[in-house]
Amino acid sequence: MTALLEIRQLGKRFATRAGRAPSPWVIQDLSFSVAEGEFLTIVGPSGSGKSTLLNIIAQTDTATAGDVLFRGTPVTTRDPRALKPGLERRIGYVTQDDNLLPWRSTLDNVLFALEVQGTLDQASRARAMTLIHAVGLAGFEHYYPHELSGGMRKRTALIRTLVYDPPIILMDEPFAAVDAQTRTQLQADLLRLWDLGRKTVIFVTHDIAEAIALGDRALVLSKQPSCIAAEHMIPIPRPRNVSDIFALPGFAATYEKIRAAVQ
Amino acid sequence: MTDIPASMADVSGSGAGSRKLLIYGGRLALTLALIAGWEYGARTLGPLFFAPPLATAERLWALAISGQMLADILATLRVAVAGFAIAGIVGVILPFLLRRSARATEAIEPAVMFTMGIPKYALAPWLILWFGIGDMPKLVVVTLVVFYIVFITTFAGIRGVDRRLISMARVIGASERRISREIIWTSLLPFFFTGLKIAFPRAVSATIVGEFLVSTEGVGRYIEGARQVSDTTGVFAGVVIALALVLTINAILNAIERWALRWRPVERDMEL
Amino acid sequence: MSDIAAPTLHSKRWRRHCDHAAVIVIILALWSLATWRFGTYWVSSPWAVAIRFVEMIASGELLRHAGYTLTEAAAGTLIGGVPAVLLPLLLRRHPVMVAILDPFMVGGYGAPKLAFAPLFIVWFGIGMESKIALVVSVVFFIVYFATLGGVRALDAKLVQTAQIMGASEQQVARSIVLPGAVPAIFAGFRIAVPYGIAAAVIAELISANRGLGYLVQNGAMNFDTTGVFAAVLMATLLVHAAVWLMNALEARLLRWRPPLDPMMETGP
Repeated sequence: MTALLEIRQLGKRFATRAGRAPSPWVIQDLSFSVAEGEFLTIVGPSGSGKSTLLNIIAQTDTATAGDVLFRGTPVTTRDPRALKPGLERRIGYVTQDDNLLPWRSTLDNVLFALEVQGTLDQASRARAMTLIHAVGLAGFEHYYPHELSGGMRKRTALIRTLVYDPPIILMDEPFAAVDAQTRTQLQADLLRLWDLGRKTVIFVTHDIAEAIALGDRALVLSKQPSCIAAEHMIPIPRPRNVSDIFALPGFAATYEKIRAAVQ
Repeated sequence: MTDIPASMADVSGSGAGSRKLLIYGGRLALTLALIAGWEYGARTLGPLFFAPPLATAERLWALAISGQMLADILATLRVAVAGFAIAGIVGVILPFLLRRSARATEAIEPAVMFTMGIPKYALAPWLILWFGIGDMPKLVVVTLVVFYIVFITTFAGIRGVDRRLISMARVIGASERRISREIIWTSLLPFFFTGLKIAFPRAVSATIVGEFLVSTEGVGRYIEGARQVSDTTGVFAGVVIALALVLTINAILNAIERWALRWRPVERDMEL
Repeated sequence: MSDIAAPTLHSKRWRRHCDHAAVIVIILALWSLATWRFGTYWVSSPWAVAIRFVEMIASGELLRHAGYTLTEAAAGTLIGGVPAVLLPLLLRRHPVMVAILDPFMVGGYGAPKLAFAPLFIVWFGIGMESKIALVVSVVFFIVYFATLGGVRALDAKLVQTAQIMGASEQQVARSIVLPGAVPAIFAGFRIAVPYGIAAAVIAELISANRGLGYLVQNGAMNFDTTGVFAAVLMATLLVHAAVWLMNALEARLLRWRPPLDPMMETGP
C-alpha cells in the first residue's frame, strides 16, 4: 500500500544575494511518510525548520531538493508561481497564528472555506454548526474575532479547516500561544474531533508531552539542517485522557527517549 | 488605542456621574463664553470687524428663507462631489493596478512624491485662463487635491494588508479574485475611510477656495463677494454656513464609518 | 522567498535609477508635446520655465517673494504649533479639561479653515498678518491632535515605572511624556507644515501685494503662463525643502527609530 503522503529526500535553502556565500541548508535529506488516518507528530527545537517543512508540504513555499508525493504522485515544483497552495483543498493548514478574518463573525469565518469552494449548502452549513457545538462555541457564532478569547479563536481556526474535510491536515504549533490549562482543553477537543473522523494529521510542536499525548507516531527533527533524528511509535492506547497523560504507562519511557533524541 | 491613558484613571474616584456633569457644564460655559466674546468684540471693535451674533443669525435666516443658502450650498457641493468622485475612482483603481508591478511602483514614486508637493490651488489662476469662469477650473483643483489623498491612503492600505491572511485564503482554495474582493478590499476599508474623512471636507474646502478666486455662485462666492463690499455680516454668515456644511458632512461620514467598520474593536477613548 | 537567485543589489539600484530617469523623460516629453500642440501661451514649455526660473532667481525677484511666503508660513507654524504642543502636555493630568475642549477642537480641526481666509483679511488686512493668522488656524489643530494622540498612546506602564521609582510629576512630563510624544508631534508637523505653506500661498492668491501666491495671480493676470509655472515651481520646492528639513530634524532627534516608508505619509 502506498503512503498517503511521502516526503523524499527533501532539501531547502533560501535565496541569497549574488556574490555572497550560499545560504546554509535549512532542511536536508529529510524523508518520511504518513499513512491514511495516521496522527503523526513532529518534535523539533525552535528554529529547526518545522514551519518551513509544513510550508513546503502545504505548497506555500518551494523545495530546493527532493519531492513530496501525494498518493504516490510527485506534487513538488521549484517554480514559486506554479505552487498550488493547499494542493487543491486536499491539504488543510492550521497555522500558528489563527489568521481569522477580523471582519467575519465566528460562524462566517468557518463558512468562509465553504463559500470560496462553492460548497456552501444546507448540509455543509449544518456540519459547520455541529462543529461549532462540538468545540463549545455555541452562543458565540455571531461574535467577531476580537471579542473572542485566545482559546476560542484557536478552536474557530481549527474547525474552519475541519469543516471542508481535506484528506490531510497540517498543524503548525497551533496551541503554542495559549496558557497551559486552555492548551490541555484544546488538545482534548482536537483528539475528540479526530476520533470522529480519523483524518491524517501532521502536527508540529516543540512540546514533547504534546507530541506524545496526540500522536500515533512521533518524529524528532535534528537542529539545522533538519533531518529525521529519531522515530518513535507511541504505545499509549486510545481514547486517551490528555489531562492525566503523564500518569499513563509508557509515557515516561517515551518521553525520555524523545528528549534524548531532541538533544 | 485600547489602553486607558494613565491620566484618565485619576478622576475615576470622583464618580462618573458628577464627572459627566462637569464636562457638559464646562462645554456649555465655554460655548456661552465664546458667544459673549463674539458679542463683546462686536461692541468694542465695531460691526465692520465683528458682525454681532444676532445680526449674523438674522442674515442666516434671511438667506435660508430666500433660498439662496440652499442654492449656494448645492452649487458648492456639485463641484466638490464631482471632483471627489473622479479623484476617488482614479485614486483607488491606480494603486490596485500598480500592485501588479513593483517596478512600475518604484519608477513613478519620486514623480508622485514631487508633484504631491505642488500647492494645487496655485494652479487655479492658470486653469481660469484655460477654462474660463465655469465649474471646470474648480473641478480640476478639487480633483487634484483629492486624488493625492486617496491615492496615498489606498496605496498604504494595500501595502498594509496582512500577508498571512492572503496565504491562508489560498490554502483554503480561494481564487485571486475572491482574495482581491474580500481580503484586500476589506482590509483596505479603514484606510479608505481615513482617506474619505480627510478628502471630502478638503474637497469642499477646495471648492470654496476656488469660488473665492472665480465664480458666480456658491458659498465661497458669497463670502468673498461680501468681503469685497465690506459686508462683514455677510462674511460671518457665509463662514458659518461653510463651517456647518463641513461639520455636518464630517458627522455623516463618521456615522457611515462606524456602521461599515463595526467588526473592528471600539476605540475606548473615542467614547465619553 | 524564492530559490531563484535575485539580481544583485547594485544592478537593482542601477535599474531603478534608469526607471526614474525614464519617467522624468516621459513627463517632459508629454509636456513638450503639449507645447507643440497648444503653444507656449497655454502650457508654456519645460525649457521656458527652466530659463524663467533661473532668470527670476538671478534677479532676486523669486527669492524675495518666496521669502515673504516663507516668513508667513514659519511665523504661523511657530505661533500655532507651540501652543498646540504645550496644551496636551499641560492638560495630561486634567482629562476633564481635555474632554470639555474636545468638541471645540474637533470642530476646529474639521472646520474649512481656508474658507475663513476672507474673514482673516477683514480682521488683519491684506498684509502678512492675515496670512499668518490663516497658517496658525491650519497648523494649530493638526499639531494639537497629533500631540494629544502621542500623549494618549504613551505606555502607561512606563509612567507607572517612573512613578514607582519616585519621579515627580515634572520629571515624568519631561523625561517620559515629552520624549514619548516626539514622534507623534513630528508626524503632526510633517502634515501641518506643507499644508501651512499652501495656506499662505492661497491667502496670497486671494488678496496680497507680495508673496508667491501674488506672483502666480499676477502672472495669470498678464497671461504669462511661464511666470505662473515658475512661481508654482518655487512654491513646490519650498514645500519639499520644508519637508526635508523636518525629516532631517526628526532623524537627528529620533535616531533610535526605524526609518519611515515615504509612500506612507500624507502630504498637502
